[in-house]
Amino acid sequence: MSEMSALSSLEKILGSKELLYTLLLLSVILPILHPLGIPVEISRRTIDVYEYIETNLRPGCRVYIEVYYEVAARGELEPNLIALTKHLFDRGCRIVYGSLSAFGVIAFSLFKSMAADVLEGKEYGRDYVYLGYIAGGEAATASLARSIKGTISVDNYGNRLEDLPLMKEVDKATDFDLVVIVSSGTDIFAYYVRQWHTPYGVPLLFACLSVIAPSIEPFVGAKQAVGMLVGQRSAAEYEVLVGRLGLGIASMDAQSTSHMLIVAFIVIGNAIYWRRRISSKRGGSR
Amino acid sequence: MSLVLRKYVPQTIVSIIIVLTVVFYYFYVSKEIAGTFTTADKALSDWVVIIMSFALIVGGIDILRFHLARIRREGMGQAPFSTVTIALLVLMVVFALHGWYLSYADPAAGIAITTQPQFRWLYLNVYAPADAAVYSILVFYIASASYRAFRVRNPMALLLLITALIVVFGNTTIGGLIWPGFLPLRDWIMTVPNTAAFRPITIGAGLGVIILGLRLLTWREISWMGRRE
Repeated sequence: MSEMSALSSLEKILGSKELLYTLLLLSVILPILHPLGIPVEISRRTIDVYEYIETNLRPGCRVYIEVYYEVAARGELEPNLIALTKHLFDRGCRIVYGSLSAFGVIAFSLFKSMAADVLEGKEYGRDYVYLGYIAGGEAATASLARSIKGTISVDNYGNRLEDLPLMKEVDKATDFDLVVIVSSGTDIFAYYVRQWHTPYGVPLLFACLSVIAPSIEPFVGAKQAVGMLVGQRSAAEYEVLVGRLGLGIASMDAQSTSHMLIVAFIVIGNAIYWRRRISSKRGGSR
Repeated sequence: MSLVLRKYVPQTIVSIIIVLTVVFYYFYVSKEIAGTFTTADKALSDWVVIIMSFALIVGGIDILRFHLARIRREGMGQAPFSTVTIALLVLMVVFALHGWYLSYADPAAGIAITTQPQFRWLYLNVYAPADAAVYSILVFYIASASYRAFRVRNPMALLLLITALIVVFGNTTIGGLIWPGFLPLRDWIMTVPNTAAFRPITIGAGLGVIILGLRLLTWREISWMGRRE
Protein backbone atom coordinates (compact mmCIF):
# COMPACT_ATOMS: atom_id res chain seq x y z
CA MET A 1 0.00 0.00 0.00
CA SER A 2 2.87 2.32 0.92
CA GLU A 3 4.57 1.42 -2.39
CA MET A 4 1.41 2.47 -4.25
CA SER A 5 1.23 5.78 -2.42
CA ALA A 6 4.94 6.39 -3.08
CA LEU A 7 4.37 5.70 -6.78
CA SER A 8 1.37 8.03 -6.76
CA SER A 9 3.42 10.80 -5.17
CA LEU A 10 6.24 10.29 -7.68
CA GLU A 11 3.76 10.32 -10.57
CA LYS A 12 2.20 13.47 -9.19
CA ILE A 13 5.60 15.20 -8.97
CA LEU A 14 6.69 14.09 -12.43
CA GLY A 15 3.26 14.82 -13.85
CA SER A 16 3.38 18.44 -12.71
CA LYS A 17 3.70 20.71 -15.69
CA GLU A 18 5.80 23.19 -13.74
CA LEU A 19 8.65 20.69 -13.19
CA LEU A 20 8.64 19.49 -16.79
CA TYR A 21 8.46 23.01 -18.21
CA THR A 22 11.27 24.28 -15.98
CA LEU A 23 13.55 21.35 -16.82
CA LEU A 24 12.73 21.74 -20.51
CA LEU A 25 13.53 25.43 -20.42
CA LEU A 26 16.87 24.71 -18.72
CA SER A 27 17.66 21.90 -21.16
CA VAL A 28 17.26 24.36 -24.04
CA ILE A 29 18.95 27.43 -22.52
CA LEU A 30 21.97 25.85 -20.78
CA PRO A 31 23.45 24.06 -23.84
CA ILE A 32 23.13 27.28 -25.84
CA LEU A 33 25.01 29.22 -23.14
CA HIS A 34 27.53 26.43 -22.54
CA PRO A 35 27.76 24.24 -25.67
CA LEU A 36 28.51 20.58 -25.04
CA GLY A 37 30.26 20.18 -28.39
CA ILE A 38 28.84 16.76 -29.19
CA PRO A 39 30.15 15.72 -32.64
CA VAL A 40 27.60 15.67 -35.44
CA GLU A 41 27.49 12.50 -37.49
CA ILE A 42 26.49 13.21 -41.10
CA SER A 43 23.64 11.15 -42.50
CA ARG A 44 23.68 9.49 -45.91
CA ARG A 45 20.74 11.63 -47.07
CA THR A 46 22.59 14.90 -46.39
CA ILE A 47 25.73 13.58 -48.08
CA ASP A 48 23.61 12.63 -51.11
CA VAL A 49 22.33 16.23 -51.40
CA TYR A 50 25.85 17.61 -51.05
CA GLU A 51 27.22 15.20 -53.63
CA TYR A 52 24.40 15.96 -56.07
CA ILE A 53 25.31 19.65 -56.04
CA GLU A 54 29.04 18.85 -56.26
CA THR A 55 28.55 16.50 -59.19
CA ASN A 56 25.81 18.16 -61.24
CA LEU A 57 26.21 21.90 -60.81
CA ARG A 58 29.01 23.54 -62.78
CA PRO A 59 30.22 27.16 -62.51
CA GLY A 60 27.69 29.47 -64.15
CA CYS A 61 24.72 27.24 -63.37
CA ARG A 62 21.39 28.85 -62.47
CA VAL A 63 19.37 27.91 -59.39
CA TYR A 64 15.90 29.03 -58.31
CA ILE A 65 15.22 29.09 -54.55
CA GLU A 66 11.73 29.37 -53.13
CA VAL A 67 11.79 31.12 -49.73
CA TYR A 68 8.53 30.07 -48.14
CA TYR A 69 8.67 30.20 -44.36
CA GLU A 70 7.54 32.48 -41.57
CA VAL A 71 9.58 33.68 -38.62
CA ALA A 72 8.39 30.84 -36.39
CA ALA A 73 10.11 28.31 -38.66
CA ARG A 74 13.21 30.44 -39.14
CA GLY A 75 15.29 28.58 -36.55
CA GLU A 76 15.03 25.33 -38.48
CA LEU A 77 14.99 26.57 -42.07
CA GLU A 78 17.24 29.61 -42.23
CA PRO A 79 20.42 27.62 -41.36
CA ASN A 80 19.52 25.24 -44.21
CA LEU A 81 19.03 28.18 -46.60
CA ILE A 82 22.32 29.82 -45.60
CA ALA A 83 24.33 26.59 -45.88
CA LEU A 84 22.78 25.75 -49.27
CA THR A 85 23.35 29.28 -50.56
CA LYS A 86 26.99 29.11 -49.50
CA HIS A 87 27.45 25.78 -51.23
CA LEU A 88 25.76 27.03 -54.42
CA PHE A 89 27.84 30.20 -54.52
CA ASP A 90 30.98 28.14 -53.85
CA ARG A 91 30.07 26.06 -56.91
CA GLY A 92 29.82 29.27 -58.96
CA CYS A 93 26.02 29.21 -59.28
CA ARG A 94 23.82 32.25 -59.67
CA ILE A 95 20.60 32.30 -57.72
CA VAL A 96 17.10 33.66 -58.27
CA TYR A 97 15.08 33.77 -55.05
CA GLY A 98 11.31 34.09 -54.98
CA SER A 99 8.48 33.78 -52.45
CA LEU A 100 4.96 32.50 -52.94
CA SER A 101 4.32 33.52 -49.34
CA ALA A 102 3.98 37.12 -48.12
CA PHE A 103 6.15 36.16 -45.11
CA GLY A 104 8.94 35.26 -47.50
CA VAL A 105 9.84 38.92 -48.00
CA ILE A 106 10.81 39.44 -44.37
CA ALA A 107 12.32 35.95 -44.16
CA PHE A 108 14.58 36.86 -47.08
CA SER A 109 15.60 40.20 -45.54
CA LEU A 110 16.50 38.40 -42.29
CA PHE A 111 18.39 35.77 -44.28
CA LYS A 112 20.35 38.54 -46.01
CA SER A 113 21.37 40.10 -42.72
CA MET A 114 22.34 36.72 -41.21
CA ALA A 115 24.22 35.55 -44.31
CA ALA A 116 26.11 38.78 -44.94
CA ASP A 117 29.41 36.86 -45.15
CA VAL A 118 27.95 34.43 -47.71
CA LEU A 119 26.61 37.27 -49.91
CA GLU A 120 29.80 39.31 -49.53
CA GLY A 121 31.34 39.96 -52.91
CA LYS A 122 28.18 38.92 -54.70
CA GLU A 123 26.55 41.57 -56.81
CA TYR A 124 22.78 41.98 -56.70
CA GLY A 125 21.31 41.55 -60.16
CA ARG A 126 24.30 39.67 -61.52
CA ASP A 127 24.91 36.91 -58.96
CA TYR A 128 21.53 36.84 -57.27
CA VAL A 129 18.07 38.36 -57.56
CA TYR A 130 15.09 38.38 -55.22
CA LEU A 131 11.73 38.50 -56.98
CA GLY A 132 9.74 39.20 -53.80
CA TYR A 133 6.23 38.02 -53.03
CA ILE A 134 4.26 36.57 -55.90
CA ALA A 135 0.55 36.05 -55.16
CA GLY A 136 -1.39 33.19 -56.71
CA GLY A 137 -0.31 29.93 -55.07
CA GLU A 138 -0.15 27.02 -57.49
CA ALA A 139 -1.34 29.11 -60.44
CA ALA A 140 1.57 31.50 -59.85
CA THR A 141 3.95 28.51 -59.66
CA ALA A 142 2.66 27.35 -63.06
CA SER A 143 2.91 30.85 -64.46
CA LEU A 144 6.51 31.31 -63.24
CA ALA A 145 7.48 27.99 -64.80
CA ARG A 146 6.41 29.31 -68.21
CA SER A 147 7.76 32.82 -67.90
CA ILE A 148 8.97 34.75 -64.85
CA LYS A 149 9.07 38.04 -66.73
CA GLY A 150 5.61 37.32 -68.11
CA THR A 151 4.30 36.93 -64.56
CA ILE A 152 5.99 39.85 -62.79
CA SER A 153 7.78 42.85 -64.20
CA VAL A 154 9.75 44.12 -61.17
CA ASP A 155 11.74 42.50 -58.35
CA ASN A 156 11.18 43.02 -54.62
CA TYR A 157 13.03 46.35 -54.69
CA GLY A 158 11.18 47.80 -57.67
CA ASN A 159 13.93 47.11 -60.23
CA ARG A 160 12.70 46.15 -63.69
CA LEU A 161 13.57 42.50 -64.32
CA GLU A 162 14.65 43.32 -67.87
CA ASP A 163 17.39 45.57 -66.47
CA LEU A 164 18.93 42.87 -64.24
CA PRO A 165 21.77 40.94 -65.97
CA LEU A 166 20.86 37.59 -64.38
CA MET A 167 17.21 37.92 -65.44
CA LYS A 168 18.32 38.42 -69.05
CA GLU A 169 19.60 34.83 -68.95
CA VAL A 170 16.71 33.14 -67.16
CA ASP A 171 12.98 33.29 -67.63
CA LYS A 172 11.39 29.84 -67.54
CA ALA A 173 11.67 26.58 -65.59
CA THR A 174 13.98 24.91 -68.08
CA ASP A 175 16.51 27.74 -67.72
CA PHE A 176 17.33 26.50 -64.20
CA ASP A 177 19.64 23.62 -63.32
CA LEU A 178 18.10 23.12 -59.90
CA VAL A 179 15.13 24.38 -57.91
CA VAL A 180 15.42 24.46 -54.12
CA ILE A 181 12.25 24.79 -52.05
CA VAL A 182 12.82 25.94 -48.48
CA SER A 183 9.38 25.76 -46.95
CA SER A 184 7.52 25.47 -43.67
CA GLY A 185 4.33 24.52 -45.53
CA THR A 186 3.42 21.21 -47.13
CA ASP A 187 1.47 22.19 -50.25
CA ILE A 188 4.25 24.21 -51.82
CA PHE A 189 6.37 21.08 -52.46
CA ALA A 190 3.49 19.50 -54.39
CA TYR A 191 3.05 22.75 -56.39
CA TYR A 192 6.62 22.54 -57.67
CA VAL A 193 6.39 18.80 -58.32
CA ARG A 194 3.23 19.32 -60.41
CA GLN A 195 4.17 22.55 -62.16
CA TRP A 196 7.98 22.48 -62.50
CA HIS A 197 9.20 18.89 -62.26
CA THR A 198 6.46 16.88 -64.02
CA PRO A 199 6.05 19.05 -67.16
CA TYR A 200 9.64 20.32 -67.50
CA GLY A 201 11.76 17.76 -65.65
CA VAL A 202 13.52 20.39 -63.52
CA PRO A 203 15.38 18.75 -60.59
CA LEU A 204 13.93 19.71 -57.21
CA LEU A 205 15.60 19.79 -53.81
CA PHE A 206 13.58 20.12 -50.62
CA ALA A 207 14.45 21.75 -47.30
CA CYS A 208 11.64 21.35 -44.80
CA LEU A 209 10.68 21.28 -41.14
CA SER A 210 11.15 17.97 -39.31
CA VAL A 211 7.42 17.78 -38.67
CA ILE A 212 6.60 18.07 -42.39
CA ALA A 213 9.24 15.63 -43.68
CA PRO A 214 7.11 12.47 -43.38
CA SER A 215 4.39 13.88 -45.63
CA ILE A 216 6.74 14.89 -48.47
CA GLU A 217 8.99 11.85 -48.23
CA PRO A 218 7.02 10.03 -50.99
CA PHE A 219 8.16 12.67 -53.53
CA VAL A 220 11.80 11.94 -52.72
CA GLY A 221 11.20 8.19 -52.80
CA ALA A 222 9.60 8.54 -56.24
CA LYS A 223 12.67 10.50 -57.46
CA GLN A 224 10.54 13.60 -58.03
CA ALA A 225 13.09 15.37 -55.84
CA VAL A 226 16.83 14.77 -55.81
CA GLY A 227 16.96 14.92 -52.04
CA MET A 228 15.73 16.51 -48.86
CA LEU A 229 17.24 18.40 -45.95
CA VAL A 230 15.16 17.94 -42.83
CA GLY A 231 15.11 20.48 -40.03
CA GLN A 232 17.83 21.46 -37.60
CA ARG A 233 19.78 18.21 -37.81
CA SER A 234 20.28 18.43 -41.60
CA ALA A 235 21.17 22.12 -41.27
CA ALA A 236 23.88 21.25 -38.74
CA GLU A 237 25.19 18.46 -40.97
CA TYR A 238 25.22 20.71 -44.04
CA GLU A 239 27.00 23.47 -42.12
CA VAL A 240 29.74 20.97 -41.29
CA LEU A 241 29.95 19.86 -44.94
CA VAL A 242 30.21 23.40 -46.36
CA GLY A 243 32.50 24.59 -43.57
CA ARG A 244 30.39 27.44 -42.25
CA LEU A 245 29.22 26.73 -38.74
CA GLY A 246 26.14 28.70 -37.78
CA LEU A 247 22.81 28.50 -35.99
CA GLY A 248 22.18 24.91 -37.09
CA ILE A 249 25.16 23.44 -35.27
CA ALA A 250 24.80 25.91 -32.38
CA SER A 251 21.33 24.64 -31.51
CA MET A 252 22.00 20.92 -31.98
CA ASP A 253 23.12 20.50 -28.36
CA ALA A 254 19.90 22.15 -27.15
CA GLN A 255 17.87 19.87 -29.42
CA SER A 256 19.72 16.82 -28.08
CA THR A 257 19.31 17.68 -24.38
CA SER A 258 15.63 18.65 -24.72
CA HIS A 259 14.85 15.47 -26.66
CA MET A 260 16.69 13.37 -24.09
CA LEU A 261 14.71 15.00 -21.30
CA ILE A 262 11.45 14.12 -23.04
CA VAL A 263 12.67 10.53 -23.57
CA ALA A 264 13.61 10.31 -19.88
CA PHE A 265 10.15 11.49 -18.86
CA ILE A 266 8.51 8.96 -21.21
CA VAL A 267 10.63 6.12 -19.77
CA ILE A 268 9.96 7.13 -16.15
CA GLY A 269 6.25 7.55 -16.91
CA ASN A 270 6.12 4.03 -18.34
CA ALA A 271 8.13 2.55 -15.48
CA ILE A 272 5.66 4.01 -12.95
CA TYR A 273 2.71 2.90 -15.06
CA TRP A 274 3.94 -0.71 -15.26
CA ARG A 275 4.98 -0.85 -11.62
CA ARG A 276 1.47 0.23 -10.65
CA ARG A 277 -0.10 -2.21 -13.06
CA ILE A 278 1.97 -5.15 -11.76
CA SER A 279 1.32 -4.13 -8.13
CA SER A 280 -2.43 -3.86 -8.67
CA LYS A 281 -2.47 -7.27 -10.41
CA ARG A 282 -0.61 -8.85 -7.50
CA GLY A 283 -2.97 -7.19 -5.07
CA GLY A 284 -5.96 -8.48 -7.02
CA SER A 285 -4.69 -12.09 -7.16
CA ARG A 286 -4.18 -12.30 -3.39
CA MET B 1 -32.76 35.57 -65.51
CA SER B 2 -31.57 35.84 -61.93
CA LEU B 3 -31.10 32.06 -61.68
CA VAL B 4 -29.17 32.06 -64.96
CA LEU B 5 -26.87 34.81 -63.74
CA ARG B 6 -26.44 33.48 -60.23
CA LYS B 7 -26.15 29.78 -60.98
CA TYR B 8 -25.72 28.71 -64.60
CA VAL B 9 -23.26 31.38 -65.78
CA PRO B 10 -20.70 30.84 -62.93
CA GLN B 11 -21.00 27.06 -63.21
CA THR B 12 -20.49 27.20 -66.99
CA ILE B 13 -17.37 29.39 -66.53
CA VAL B 14 -15.97 26.96 -63.95
CA SER B 15 -16.67 23.95 -66.21
CA ILE B 16 -14.99 25.59 -69.21
CA ILE B 17 -11.92 26.49 -67.13
CA ILE B 18 -11.64 22.95 -65.74
CA VAL B 19 -11.79 21.47 -69.26
CA LEU B 20 -9.26 24.00 -70.58
CA THR B 21 -6.87 23.39 -67.67
CA VAL B 22 -6.94 19.62 -68.23
CA VAL B 23 -6.50 20.03 -72.01
CA PHE B 24 -3.61 22.50 -71.63
CA TYR B 25 -1.78 20.33 -69.09
CA TYR B 26 -2.21 16.84 -70.56
CA PHE B 27 -3.05 16.98 -74.28
CA TYR B 28 -0.39 17.03 -76.97
CA VAL B 29 -1.44 17.21 -80.63
CA SER B 30 1.47 18.87 -82.40
CA LYS B 31 4.30 21.32 -81.66
CA GLU B 32 2.33 24.30 -83.03
CA ILE B 33 -0.78 23.48 -81.04
CA ALA B 34 1.34 22.83 -77.92
CA GLY B 35 2.79 26.34 -78.36
CA THR B 36 -0.69 27.83 -78.56
CA PHE B 37 -1.74 25.81 -75.52
CA THR B 38 1.29 27.11 -73.56
CA THR B 39 0.39 30.72 -74.39
CA ALA B 40 -3.25 30.21 -73.43
CA ASP B 41 -2.31 28.28 -70.29
CA LYS B 42 0.05 31.08 -69.29
CA ALA B 43 -2.76 33.61 -69.76
CA LEU B 44 -5.06 31.46 -67.61
CA SER B 45 -2.44 31.22 -64.82
CA ASP B 46 -1.84 34.99 -65.02
CA TRP B 47 -5.55 35.61 -64.55
CA VAL B 48 -5.43 33.61 -61.32
CA VAL B 49 -2.42 35.63 -60.10
CA ILE B 50 -4.25 38.91 -60.87
CA ILE B 51 -7.55 37.71 -59.38
CA MET B 52 -5.80 36.52 -56.19
CA SER B 53 -3.99 39.84 -55.84
CA PHE B 54 -7.30 41.66 -56.02
CA ALA B 55 -8.87 39.07 -53.70
CA LEU B 56 -6.42 40.27 -51.02
CA ILE B 57 -7.97 43.75 -51.29
CA VAL B 58 -11.47 42.27 -51.13
CA GLY B 59 -10.36 40.25 -48.09
CA GLY B 60 -9.11 43.40 -46.36
CA ILE B 61 -12.38 45.22 -47.00
CA ASP B 62 -14.32 42.19 -45.77
CA ILE B 63 -12.33 42.08 -42.50
CA LEU B 64 -13.07 45.80 -42.02
CA ARG B 65 -16.80 45.31 -42.65
CA PHE B 66 -16.95 42.23 -40.42
CA HIS B 67 -15.34 43.94 -37.43
CA LEU B 68 -17.31 47.17 -37.81
CA ALA B 69 -20.53 45.14 -37.87
CA ARG B 70 -19.34 43.14 -34.86
CA ILE B 71 -18.64 46.24 -32.79
CA ARG B 72 -22.07 47.58 -33.70
CA ARG B 73 -23.76 44.27 -32.86
CA GLU B 74 -21.85 43.09 -29.76
CA GLY B 75 -20.99 46.46 -28.26
CA MET B 76 -17.98 47.44 -26.20
CA GLY B 77 -17.19 43.88 -25.04
CA GLN B 78 -15.89 43.06 -28.49
CA ALA B 79 -14.59 46.55 -29.20
CA PRO B 80 -10.98 46.21 -27.93
CA PHE B 81 -10.20 43.19 -30.15
CA SER B 82 -11.95 44.52 -33.23
CA THR B 83 -10.46 48.00 -32.76
CA VAL B 84 -6.93 46.57 -32.66
CA THR B 85 -7.62 44.53 -35.82
CA ILE B 86 -9.05 47.53 -37.67
CA ALA B 87 -6.27 49.84 -36.49
CA LEU B 88 -3.56 47.42 -37.67
CA LEU B 89 -5.37 46.92 -40.96
CA VAL B 90 -5.52 50.66 -41.58
CA LEU B 91 -1.88 50.99 -40.49
CA MET B 92 -0.84 48.40 -43.08
CA VAL B 93 -2.66 50.35 -45.80
CA VAL B 94 -0.97 53.60 -44.69
CA PHE B 95 2.47 51.91 -44.68
CA ALA B 96 1.81 50.42 -48.11
CA LEU B 97 0.79 53.80 -49.54
CA HIS B 98 3.86 55.41 -47.94
CA GLY B 99 6.12 52.72 -49.45
CA TRP B 100 4.41 53.15 -52.81
CA TYR B 101 4.95 56.92 -52.64
CA LEU B 102 8.65 56.47 -51.73
CA SER B 103 9.18 54.04 -54.61
CA TYR B 104 8.21 56.86 -56.99
CA ALA B 105 9.53 59.87 -55.05
CA ASP B 106 12.97 58.38 -54.38
CA PRO B 107 13.55 55.31 -56.58
CA ALA B 108 17.29 55.30 -55.76
CA ALA B 109 16.47 54.42 -52.11
CA GLY B 110 15.13 51.05 -53.29
CA ILE B 111 12.10 51.28 -51.00
CA ALA B 112 9.00 49.43 -52.18
CA ILE B 113 5.74 48.50 -50.48
CA THR B 114 7.26 45.34 -48.99
CA THR B 115 10.51 46.97 -47.88
CA GLN B 116 8.87 50.00 -46.26
CA PRO B 117 10.93 50.66 -43.08
CA GLN B 118 8.02 51.13 -40.64
CA PHE B 119 6.33 48.00 -41.91
CA ARG B 120 9.58 46.12 -41.44
CA TRP B 121 9.98 47.52 -37.91
CA LEU B 122 6.44 46.51 -36.96
CA TYR B 123 6.90 43.06 -38.41
CA LEU B 124 10.26 42.41 -36.78
CA ASN B 125 9.40 43.88 -33.38
CA VAL B 126 5.76 42.94 -32.93
CA TYR B 127 4.74 40.12 -35.23
CA ALA B 128 7.99 38.11 -35.36
CA PRO B 129 8.48 37.74 -31.55
CA ALA B 130 4.81 36.87 -31.07
CA ASP B 131 4.90 34.32 -33.90
CA ALA B 132 8.13 32.75 -32.67
CA ALA B 133 6.85 32.64 -29.07
CA VAL B 134 3.59 30.92 -30.01
CA TYR B 135 5.47 28.32 -32.06
CA SER B 136 8.05 27.78 -29.31
CA ILE B 137 5.35 27.20 -26.70
CA LEU B 138 4.40 24.08 -28.67
CA VAL B 139 7.48 22.28 -27.35
CA PHE B 140 6.07 22.44 -23.80
CA TYR B 141 2.74 21.01 -24.89
CA ILE B 142 4.42 18.30 -26.94
CA ALA B 143 6.68 17.35 -24.01
CA SER B 144 3.73 17.23 -21.63
CA ALA B 145 1.60 15.28 -24.09
CA SER B 146 4.42 12.80 -24.83
CA TYR B 147 4.84 12.06 -21.13
CA ARG B 148 1.12 11.32 -20.79
CA ALA B 149 0.35 9.71 -24.16
CA PHE B 150 3.30 7.36 -24.70
CA ARG B 151 2.10 4.68 -22.28
CA VAL B 152 2.81 1.12 -23.39
CA ARG B 153 -0.66 -0.27 -22.86
CA ASN B 154 -0.54 -2.84 -25.70
CA PRO B 155 1.91 -4.25 -28.31
CA MET B 156 0.93 -1.60 -30.90
CA ALA B 157 1.72 1.18 -28.43
CA LEU B 158 5.09 -0.48 -27.77
CA LEU B 159 5.82 -0.51 -31.52
CA LEU B 160 4.87 3.16 -31.77
CA LEU B 161 7.09 4.04 -28.82
CA ILE B 162 10.10 2.13 -30.21
CA THR B 163 9.70 3.84 -33.60
CA ALA B 164 9.38 7.25 -31.97
CA LEU B 165 12.47 6.65 -29.83
CA ILE B 166 14.55 5.59 -32.85
CA VAL B 167 13.51 8.77 -34.73
CA VAL B 168 14.20 10.94 -31.67
CA PHE B 169 17.62 9.38 -31.10
CA GLY B 170 18.36 9.65 -34.81
CA ASN B 171 17.56 13.36 -34.71
CA THR B 172 19.94 14.06 -31.84
CA THR B 173 23.71 14.03 -31.62
CA ILE B 174 23.54 12.15 -28.30
CA GLY B 175 21.80 9.31 -30.16
CA GLY B 176 24.91 8.83 -32.29
CA LEU B 177 27.06 8.54 -29.15
CA ILE B 178 24.76 5.88 -27.66
CA TRP B 179 24.58 3.77 -30.84
CA PRO B 180 25.69 4.84 -34.34
CA GLY B 181 22.94 2.72 -35.88
CA PHE B 182 20.18 5.15 -34.85
CA LEU B 183 20.84 7.51 -37.78
CA PRO B 184 20.61 4.94 -40.62
CA LEU B 185 17.67 3.28 -38.85
CA ARG B 186 15.87 6.65 -38.65
CA ASP B 187 16.48 7.16 -42.38
CA TRP B 188 15.15 3.67 -43.10
CA ILE B 189 11.98 4.37 -41.07
CA MET B 190 11.47 7.61 -42.98
CA THR B 191 12.07 6.18 -46.43
CA VAL B 192 10.39 2.77 -46.16
CA PRO B 193 7.53 2.39 -43.61
CA ASN B 194 6.76 6.12 -43.54
CA THR B 195 6.65 6.39 -47.34
CA ALA B 196 4.50 3.27 -47.51
CA ALA B 197 2.03 4.93 -45.12
CA PHE B 198 2.06 8.37 -46.70
CA ARG B 199 1.93 7.36 -50.37
CA PRO B 200 -1.65 6.02 -50.17
CA ILE B 201 -2.64 9.21 -48.35
CA THR B 202 -1.11 11.30 -51.16
CA ILE B 203 -2.75 9.15 -53.84
CA GLY B 204 -6.06 9.27 -51.94
CA ALA B 205 -5.88 13.06 -51.75
CA GLY B 206 -5.16 13.15 -55.50
CA LEU B 207 -8.17 10.97 -56.21
CA GLY B 208 -10.23 13.23 -53.98
CA VAL B 209 -9.18 16.25 -56.04
CA ILE B 210 -10.14 14.41 -59.26
CA ILE B 211 -13.55 13.57 -57.81
CA LEU B 212 -14.01 17.18 -56.68
CA GLY B 213 -13.12 18.34 -60.20
CA LEU B 214 -15.63 15.93 -61.73
CA ARG B 215 -18.32 17.09 -59.31
CA LEU B 216 -17.60 20.70 -60.25
CA LEU B 217 -17.67 19.79 -63.92
CA THR B 218 -21.01 18.02 -63.63
CA TRP B 219 -22.47 20.86 -61.49
CA ARG B 220 -22.95 18.59 -58.48
CA GLU B 221 -20.58 20.62 -56.28
CA ILE B 222 -22.17 23.98 -55.51
CA SER B 223 -20.74 24.77 -52.06
CA TRP B 224 -18.19 27.18 -53.64
CA MET B 225 -21.15 29.43 -54.55
CA GLY B 226 -22.06 29.62 -50.87
CA ARG B 227 -24.87 27.09 -51.08
CA ARG B 228 -25.47 23.67 -49.64
CA GLU B 229 -26.64 20.74 -51.72
